[in-house]
Amino acid sequence: MDINKYSPLTETTYYILLSLIEPSHGYVMMQKVEELSDNKVKIAAGTMYGAIENLVKQRLIQSVQSDDKRRKTYVITEKGIEVLRQDYKRMSHMIRITNNLFSNTDK
Amino acid sequence: MRKFKVFNDFDKEEQWLERMGSEGYQLESTYFGYKFRLVDPKEKKIKIDFRKFKHSADFLDYITLFEDSGWRHIAGSKYSGIQYFEKIDDQAIDDIFSDNVSKAKRYQRYAHSSLMLAIGNFPLIIFLYFTDIIDPVYFIRPSELYLTPGLWDKSGTSFWFSFIFETPFALLRGAAWTFIPLSVLSYLFFSYKANKRYIQSMIKK
Repeated sequence: MDINKYSPLTETTYYILLSLIEPSHGYVMMQKVEELSDNKVKIAAGTMYGAIENLVKQRLIQSVQSDDKRRKTYVITEKGIEVLRQDYKRMSHMIRITNNLFSNTDK
Repeated sequence: MRKFKVFNDFDKEEQWLERMGSEGYQLESTYFGYKFRLVDPKEKKIKIDFRKFKHSADFLDYITLFEDSGWRHIAGSKYSGIQYFEKIDDQAIDDIFSDNVSKAKRYQRYAHSSLMLAIGNFPLIIFLYFTDIIDPVYFIRPSELYLTPGLWDKSGTSFWFSFIFETPFALLRGAAWTFIPLSVLSYLFFSYKANKRYIQSMIKK
């Protein structure tokens, strides 16, 4: 399994994956993404539907049983968490070195 | 009221439907042309997506997601592909797509679906050809489509009377099958157009 082919994740994909640490359906995902991103990332319904379809195909998320007959519920997969972790490491590194360089020039 | 119109540009179709809405014509269905219901004129946002569904549960999930986010599904069915939505919540985002790539992808799905329809109908043409229903002779000598004995030896009023009388039948005999190759050609045309629009909007982004 080549995790690196998903990296770097787009901002939208990163937030969508984060929103599915707990199982939820499409609309709740849209609200969570908005909340997590400080209202900076707003995903519209058609875009969200396509994104879910893609992530399911890539097996980064999967649908799970739910009582709601009208709405499908999804949750992140092991693979999805691994991809998220890799991208988190990548960004942490960037933040660390940027921080170092910035604090050096400040002195 | 019913209207017949053909679009290959979703943006133009949306604008036309919004204009109809502001004149009081509310889109009701698209099974056979555009069917409108007379209501109070209202400025309403209308957006179009293209998706076909295998399972009813998927279709329901799709429609519900839009409804939850302030867009009511007004026309289109599981298999129809073109799905029409109307904005019902003032708080909702003004579009059903939040980035240009996903907006462009509906043209890609439309192109693919039209191409599949063209390919699906193609065996019918071959079948019609081999069963002699499509006979190229009629293209070269359309006079053979007329069956009235001695028609071409007649003259004057008698000729014109028989000729005009039989023309609709001749057309039916010779051209009834043409709708199949014509529909294949139009599917191909729509597919080509949609694909071009997909590529254009991907470049524009």
